[in-house]
Amino acid sequence: MGVIRAEPIRATDWAAKSVGAAWRAFDLQLATYATLLAATGLVMAYTNSVDSIGGGTALEAGTTFTRGLMWAGIAVVFFILATVFDYRWLKTLAWPVYAFQLGLLVLTLAIGDGVGGSARWISVGPFTFQFSELAKILMIVVLANYLASRHGRLDSLRTILGACVLVAPPLALVMLQPDLGTSLVFGAILAGMLWMSGASLRWLAALAAVGIAMVPIAWTYVLRDYQKERLTSFLAADKDLQGAGYQLYQSQIAIGSGGWMGKGLTNGTQAQGDFLPVQTTDFVFAILAEELGFVGAMVLFGLFVLLLWRVLVAGWRSRDPFGTMFAAGLASMILFQLVVNVGMVMGIMPITGIPLPFVTHGGASLVSMAIGLGILQSVNIRQTRAEW
Amino acid sequence: VNTYLDSRVEHGRRLSRFIVFGLVIVLAVGALTARLFYLQVASGTQFAALSTANRTVLEPIPAPRGLIYDRNGRLLVSNVPTFSVKVRPADLPNSQRDAVVERLAALLRADASEIHGTIDANPGSAFDLVRIAQDVDQATANLISEAGFELPGVEVVVEARRSYTDGPLMSHLIGYTGPVAPEQLADLRALGYQPDDLIGKAGVENQYEAELRGIYGAESVERDATGRRTQVLQTVRDAQPGASLTLTIDTQAQKDAERALRWAMKKIGMTRGVVIAMNPQTGEVLAMVSLPTYDNNLFARGISVSDYDKLLQDEDKPLINHAVQAHYAPGSTYKLVTGTGGLADKEISASTRLTTKAYLTLGSTKFYEWNRRGWGPCDIYCGFGHSSDTYFYQVAGMLGADRLGYWANQYGFGELTGIDLPGEVRGIVPTNEWKQNALGAPMFAGETYQAGIGQGYDAVTPLQLINAFAALANGGTLYQPQIVREVVGPDGTVVRPFEPKVLHEMKVKDSVLRVMRNAARETVTLRHTYNLVDMPIKIAGKSGTAEFGTPDAKGRLPYSSFFVGFTPKNPVKGSFNRTDSELVVMAFAHDSRTVGNAATEIVKYFFQLHYDIEKDYRLPELLKRGNFYGND
Repeated sequence: MGVIRAEPIRATDWAAKSVGAAWRAFDLQLATYATLLAATGLVMAYTNSVDSIGGGTALEAGTTFTRGLMWAGIAVVFFILATVFDYRWLKTLAWPVYAFQLGLLVLTLAIGDGVGGSARWISVGPFTFQFSELAKILMIVVLANYLASRHGRLDSLRTILGACVLVAPPLALVMLQPDLGTSLVFGAILAGMLWMSGASLRWLAALAAVGIAMVPIAWTYVLRDYQKERLTSFLAADKDLQGAGYQLYQSQIAIGSGGWMGKGLTNGTQAQGDFLPVQTTDFVFAILAEELGFVGAMVLFGLFVLLLWRVLVAGWRSRDPFGTMFAAGLASMILFQLVVNVGMVMGIMPITGIPLPFVTHGGASLVSMAIGLGILQSVNIRQTRAEW
Repeated sequence: VNTYLDSRVEHGRRLSRFIVFGLVIVLAVGALTARLFYLQVASGTQFAALSTANRTVLEPIPAPRGLIYDRNGRLLVSNVPTFSVKVRPADLPNSQRDAVVERLAALLRADASEIHGTIDANPGSAFDLVRIAQDVDQATANLISEAGFELPGVEVVVEARRSYTDGPLMSHLIGYTGPVAPEQLADLRALGYQPDDLIGKAGVENQYEAELRGIYGAESVERDATGRRTQVLQTVRDAQPGASLTLTIDTQAQKDAERALRWAMKKIGMTRGVVIAMNPQTGEVLAMVSLPTYDNNLFARGISVSDYDKLLQDEDKPLINHAVQAHYAPGSTYKLVTGTGGLADKEISASTRLTTKAYLTLGSTKFYEWNRRGWGPCDIYCGFGHSSDTYFYQVAGMLGADRLGYWANQYGFGELTGIDLPGEVRGIVPTNEWKQNALGAPMFAGETYQAGIGQGYDAVTPLQLINAFAALANGGTLYQPQIVREVVGPDGTVVRPFEPKVLHEMKVKDSVLRVMRNAARETVTLRHTYNLVDMPIKIAGKSGTAEFGTPDAKGRLPYSSFFVGFTPKNPVKGSFNRTDSELVVMAFAHDSRTVGNAATEIVKYFFQLHYDIEKDYRLPELLKRGNFYGND
């Protein structure tokens, strides 16, 4: 592997650089869109916490809403820390970061809890944290560093295979949890970053062909029955309304009954009547579409498009290939999760349990996204200094 | 594949890759938007309807069931609110069913497999409620309602349960309600019955089901995914309460009748008996007691399998109303038919004397007098008063089986009385035609002799017997006995007022019946019924003893005793020449085997209680078990 170029490693330097960073280049738009998306998630948590039948208040301790507020606060802290932190240290620390990532995933497998024998999150006291969310950001860091260091040799098959080799261990560890959704996200990150790195189209095509060829093998030997059932249930959701298709059917009713303007916050009958399971997590978009309607969902899509635009702009502006690659990874991840999550809720994608970035209630996902955006801002404010 | 754009590499950035990535974003979000538009806008109304259908259901509003009163306005049946636990199978996901049933079983202290069985036996669709438990105590009901989300598909429903004020005293008359039987459901659905509905199963509850039930209303109800009602959206149709019933029964008379019967049963150690009191002028039944009885409140609360089995296994058949649902040989009380027929057909006159002796011979068979002596030459007063068997063998022989059968029919034997209680049986009046059909041979002369004294093939219900004597007492009108006096609508207006129903007028001269009434008085005055004549009221009547079953080691058959008696309108000064009697009472003591006629003692005690006679005329020594065989 390439030699990692070490920047001066002194604590005083780190402080000096962050003070000297070009805060003018801080992308206020990016931060605004992300904040609005996270606020949308909080609003959905609020509407879910209002018990229209029981009459409870959303502001009591322990509701989805109050826990969401707490995680939002933590996410802001991590966003600021990641922004202030000089991202270039990440290049120095790429290998320790990779080891840390693998360590987290192994730890999750060893002591993690989950539903029905799976191991997905680690509980500390009343809090649970899903390390695989953080692992996705760390994966982007590691891949960005690797691809940036091989910048100029991107036509070679070796670079592409190297990237695959880097992704393979964490992907396998996540598959073992088993968490099919997150492992697919790893794949999407890899594909998006290879594409943006300018890797040879020929080799990319070959890689895609191999990937497609792997599908039947994975189907037969890797996937468990319940995973296959979930993957295929969207094809015939109306056939099995009492079983796997129930959630999908109810979520489509929720979305469909929203109409142009929606039923209004806290007024969704599908949500408030609990016809729809896991409302604040993977199926949060169904509640949003029911209560805020087509217009509300379009605003959400708009925010995502704008956010992705700002991420890509950050990547384009970066003079450091690491920045470009990191932005590419982040954009791939957000886009993939958006399409798969919303597609799943609307019945055009398989059920995979992938969260909707920023909006889905869940501390790990939100904090990881905050760290990712923080690193991107760190890239922003440290590139422009040289340019302007 | 180096295009122009692809070659514009600047710090590792390729514009083409950025543009393609941007296009992918636009296409992906565009596809999502298209799908969203299709779901929300293009087919939005369809999904809105599905969402509404999801949470609103049309549920029946049960109509309050009609109440039941006795003739004096005493409340006999009321509705009390109770908690029932029901399951709507469609709302109970299969994956959770075991856990939910397990939990329910623990809460209800019931057997999980029984609950599974009840759900599986649900005769309705998966969307119909299935009753799992009824009369659940409040604490349990609260626990179950609060666990709503953990018990999907389970509902706690407030239901009205029937509460029977006097329980066993009236069980055979009022009956009870119970769950609709699955096999009935198909027919009942058209009438608006629900699979978890209750329906009258016995007695008046069954006979007057249509009146009592009322008309169920309907309401659209919003519910959540676990089936809990969240709110009532609209009452589509109000429930119309059922009509109330006023019975002809006098609770006091009913209690007196039961007391008299229980007294004798306890003294004798007898296990089955009937007492009926009627007004012969109208056919109103004032009291009807059949023992052993059961507690209809057990059924109203949902009877346990073991309790029900116990009732079914009891050989005295407590679930049967022996007054109307079983028939017995009537014994000498049937001599009323023979005597009336003889006089009406002019085979004998009131003064015709027939020789009574130890026995008559027919071929090689001897037909014995009950006291093995006879009374010498006897007219109808002597023959009926002493209950002479040889006298009535001769009259029966003169009439023949078919004329005897004709007069039996005139008194209502062999026909349903038409009482408004379910399950009435017809009894048997043996004629040549009947025997030809039933056994393939005409009646033999000896069989006609037996039929003339209420033995052999004769079989009557206690109700038929008292109704025959009621016709005697009122001068020849055979009324349909009635249990329900009036049907009163929910607004208090009388929907169906009381009206005596005449089955037929007997084709007999008044003088014949007057002779028979005075002959019945002779039974009392000749002291055939011991001290009945000493009572301060005038009673006419007839006792009877009927053998049944199989002989014991000494060749003696077990026997039952009957007595039917009636009083004039003025019981102290009245006369049996008149037809103004307003009270006829009968008792049936099954398998009594006593020294004296047990049924007479029961009727005597009833009259004592009914007319508030302070002196006790009962003769307990007659109720000793004994071998005095053939006391008649």
